[in-house]
Amino acid sequence: MKAKFSQYLTEIAPGLKKLRDELAKSYEYVSILATDSVGFAVRASQRVKSISGNTLTSERGNVVRVYKEGLYSEYAFNNLDLTDTEAAAGKIKNILDKQLSVLKMTESEVFNTPQLDDEPLELFVEMDTDSLPEETDLSALLAKLQGFSDNGKALSEEIIDVTVSAQSMHICKMFLSANRDLRQSYVYSEGNISMVGARNGKTDMAYNGVSDREGPAVFDQLEDVIKKTFKELEDNFSAEPVVPGEYEIITNPEVSGLIAHEAFGHGVEMDMFVKNRALGAQYIDKRVGSDLVTMHEGAKCVKDVASYAFDDEGTLAGDVVEIDKGILKTGVCDALAALRLGIKPTGNGKRENFEHKVYTRMTNTMFDSGDSTKEEMIASVKKGYLLSGMFSGMEDPKHWGIQCIVARGYEIIDGKLTGKVVAPVVLTGYVPDLLGSISMASKDYVSFGTGACGKGYKEWVKVSDGGPYLKAVARLG
Amino acid sequence: MTDKIIELLKKSEADAYSVSSKVTEGWEFYFIKHQLDQNRVRDVEHINVTVYKKLEDGKFLGSASEEIAPTASEEEATKIINQLCERASLVKNPYFELNKEQVEVESKEYDPEKMAKDYIEAMQQIPETSGEDINSYEIFVEVCKKRFVNSEGIDVTFSYPNSAVEVVVNARNKDHEIELYRMYKSGTCDKEYLVRELTETLRFGKDRLNVKPTPALGKASVLFSTEDAGSIFSWVAAKMSAAMKYRGYSNWEKGKEILSDVKGDKITLKARRELPNSSTNFAVDEEGAKTRDMYIVKDNIAENFWGGCQFSYYLGLKDSFIVQNFEAEGGSQTEAEVRQGQYLEPVEFSDFSVDQLTGDIAGEIRLAYWHDGDKVTAVSGGSVSGNLSELLKNIKMSKETKQYNNIIVPSVLRLEGVTVAGVE
Repeated sequence: MKAKFSQYLTEIAPGLKKLRDELAKSYEYVSILATDSVGFAVRASQRVKSISGNTLTSERGNVVRVYKEGLYSEYAFNNLDLTDTEAAAGKIKNILDKQLSVLKMTESEVFNTPQLDDEPLELFVEMDTDSLPEETDLSALLAKLQGFSDNGKALSEEIIDVTVSAQSMHICKMFLSANRDLRQSYVYSEGNISMVGARNGKTDMAYNGVSDREGPAVFDQLEDVIKKTFKELEDNFSAEPVVPGEYEIITNPEVSGLIAHEAFGHGVEMDMFVKNRALGAQYIDKRVGSDLVTMHEGAKCVKDVASYAFDDEGTLAGDVVEIDKGILKTGVCDALAALRLGIKPTGNGKRENFEHKVYTRMTNTMFDSGDSTKEEMIASVKKGYLLSGMFSGMEDPKHWGIQCIVARGYEIIDGKLTGKVVAPVVLTGYVPDLLGSISMASKDYVSFGTGACGKGYKEWVKVSDGGPYLKAVARLG
Repeated sequence: MTDKIIELLKKSEADAYSVSSKVTEGWEFYFIKHQLDQNRVRDVEHINVTVYKKLEDGKFLGSASEEIAPTASEEEATKIINQLCERASLVKNPYFELNKEQVEVESKEYDPEKMAKDYIEAMQQIPETSGEDINSYEIFVEVCKKRFVNSEGIDVTFSYPNSAVEVVVNARNKDHEIELYRMYKSGTCDKEYLVRELTETLRFGKDRLNVKPTPALGKASVLFSTEDAGSIFSWVAAKMSAAMKYRGYSNWEKGKEILSDVKGDKITLKARRELPNSSTNFAVDEEGAKTRDMYIVKDNIAENFWGGCQFSYYLGLKDSFIVQNFEAEGGSQTEAEVRQGQYLEPVEFSDFSVDQLTGDIAGEIRLAYWHDGDKVTAVSGGSVSGNLSELLKNIKMSKETKQYNNIIVPSVLRLEGVTVAGVE
C-alpha cells in the first residue's frame, strides 16, 4: 500500500504559497518547509506500560527561510493565521527585523552567502509500506509486545524486567519555494527489546532492535531477538573488564556501523568544512583507509529509517561514495554549506524538526561488504576480540579521534572464541589508523536504525548505519 | 486553544486528564568566527494532553498522551481525545493519583531580545589572541510561558527564561590547530561567568597544542574538575528516582547506606527548589506538583526517593515531585588538599559517558593534566573507565563547590583506582 500524503498539508498549501509570495515582496529568496508527521510509541514491560503519540519525529509545523543581502534568516511557527497572509508576513518580517537591530547594536557583521539556486522541480512521492501506524490495532500490538516481555522474563529468575518498545511514524513533508513544490510521505518503524537483570548484586542490561522503512509489521521480528538478548545479558554477567591495550578486533555489523558513523560520517559533514572544523577537508583524494574500505552515505543507499525522497531544504536524496577503496572522495553537504564551498548539495540537509536549524547530517552510512566469512575472520585472529553491540559513540572531526562504547567483546585466542567476555569496552584511536588497519570484510550487509544521532550534544535525528563484519586493530580500554 | 481542549476533555469519557501547554518565543543566532551565519525565531505553541481511564473498578489506571496542534479544529481535537480515551483503556497500569494541590506562582517577565544581546556582547568580550580564538558559536535564548491544568483542580501558569550557548574554541601553533567544545546552559545570560569560563577554555586550548600521549597508568587517581563531575552525581540521582526503584533497577533502600564500606567522603545530594539563574527554577514540576528543597541522600544514607506522581504513588512517597535542580554538598577537605599527590585530571573528553543503570563510566581523553608531584604534563589520547558503585566508595570531594546550570557540585572530585588506558 501507499503511505498517503497528509490531507492537512494539502489543505494549507495554498495559504503557505500566498505567504511565500507575500514574503517575496521583501526578500530575494523564500522557501517554506511544512511538516505533519504522526504515529505512536507503545511500550510494554512487567511493571509498566505506555502509549503515546509523541515521538522524536512527531511534529506539525512550518519554517520559513528568507534571504536578503547575503543573510539567511528563519522563522518557525505552528500557530499563524494563514487566512491573512499579509498580516502573517508582516509579523515575520517585523520580528526578523528586530533581530537585525540587535545585530546592528552589537556591530555584528554578516557571513555573506550567495543566493540559493531555485531550479524548477515538482515531486509527489507516496512510498510503499506494508501498513500504516494510523490504522494499527494498538490493542493487539500491546498484547503482542506484552507477550514478548513475558516470554523474555520467563527465561530466568535473574531477569528483573524486559521492556519491549515499538514506534511507528508516518512522515509527511512539503517543501515550497518560488519554483519548487515537493511533497513526500513515507512510514518507518523501529522496535527494541531491553532486558535488565541482576546477578550477584551486579545489575546489567542487553539490548537489541529492529528497524525498517516499513509499517508496524516489522515488530514481528522482535520475537526472534528475545533469546539472543538473553544470551547477551548472561554474557554481560560473566564479563570482566578488558585489560587496556591494542588488539586485533572483529566488529559485528552493528559495531561496524557505529565506526562508520562516528569515525567518518561526522568527519565529512561538510558544514564543518565551512567552519574549518574537519580534518577531512585536507584529505580529499588521499588515503584514509585500507583498500577494503568503501563507504556510502545517503538516503538512497539503503532502505531504513532515514531513507527519504528529499531533505529538509528541498534537495533530492542521494547516494554518495565517501570513501572508495580507501581513498576519501568527498563528503556530504546541506544546501547552504554547498553554496559556501562552491559544490552541489547531496541531500543531507536535515532538521531535528521544523523548529530547528538545518545542518549537514547523516542519513544511512554503510561500509561495503567484502568476500570473507565471519568464521574465516575469527580463525585469522591470534589474540583479540569479537566486538558486539553498541551503547554510544562520539565524533571528533577536527582531530579524527574516535570513541565508541561497545557492549561487549568475546575473546579470540589462536583463531578460536574462548568463551571469555569483556564488558563494557571503550574503543578509541585515530581514525585513519583504525580504517587503515581493516584487513578483512565479510559478505554480510546489514543496517541498523534504532538509534538517533546528535550533532555535538543536540539536534537529534534518525539515522541508520551498518555494513559487514570488519577485521581491524584498535585500542580497547 | 488550551481552554477549548479542556472543555472537550470535560465532555469526553476521560476519568481524569492533564493538559500542559507551552508557548515559546525563541531567538537564535549562529556565528562563524564573529560573523552572523544565520538568525532564527521560534514562535510556537505546544499543547500536550494526557487522558486517564479507570479500569476494572479502579484497580488500574490507564493513560495515553498526545500533542494536539494549536491549529487543530474542534472536530480534530475531539477525534484525538476520543482516540486517547480508547488507548488509555488498553494501558493497565496499577492505580495512582494525580497531583491535587494548587500552587500559587509569582509571574515574571523576561525579554529574549535583551538575553540575546547579552550573549552576543559576552562573546565579543572573550580575550582572543592570534593563537587561541573562537571558531564558532550558537546562541539559543527563549522565553517560555507554561500552563499546567489537570482534572483535580490544578491550574497554574508561569513564565521562565531558558538559554544556552554552544562554543567551539580553536588553538593553533605552526604545526597544527585543535578545537575544544563547550555548551553552557542557564536561565538568562551570565556574562561574567561565560567570559571567565571561556577564558579558561582558551588556556586549555593552548595546552592541548603541546600534549604528550596519556601514559598507560593502569589504575590511577583521577580528578574531575569540570561539568563531568555533575554527570557522576546524576547516577546517584537516577538510582534514587522512584521510576528506577519501582522498576527494580535500583536496589537502594530508604534509610540505608547507598554504598557499603565507604572509606572516602560520604555523599550528600539534595533537591533544590531554586538555584541562581538555573534554567529549571520551576515552582511546580511538569505534573503540577510543588517543588521544594529536600535531602535525597544524606551522609551516604538514602533519605528520599523522588519522581512523578505515578511512580511516587506506587512507592508510597508523600509530596514528591520531579526534581529539576540538584546540589551535592562539598566534602571534608579544601580543593588544594584534594589535589595533593599524583593524579590525572581530564578536562576534555570526547564524551564522558555515565551509564545510569550500571554505573559504568567511560570517556576518551582529549585533554588531561598528569600531576606528578610538582610536574604537570598536558596529555591526550586513551580513555578512563570504571564503575561508580565501586569508585564512589573512596571519593574525596572539595569543600568548595561550583554550579553548572541546574546542579551544584564540589569543585573537584577525586576517585581512586580508575582504569586509565594510555597510548604511551
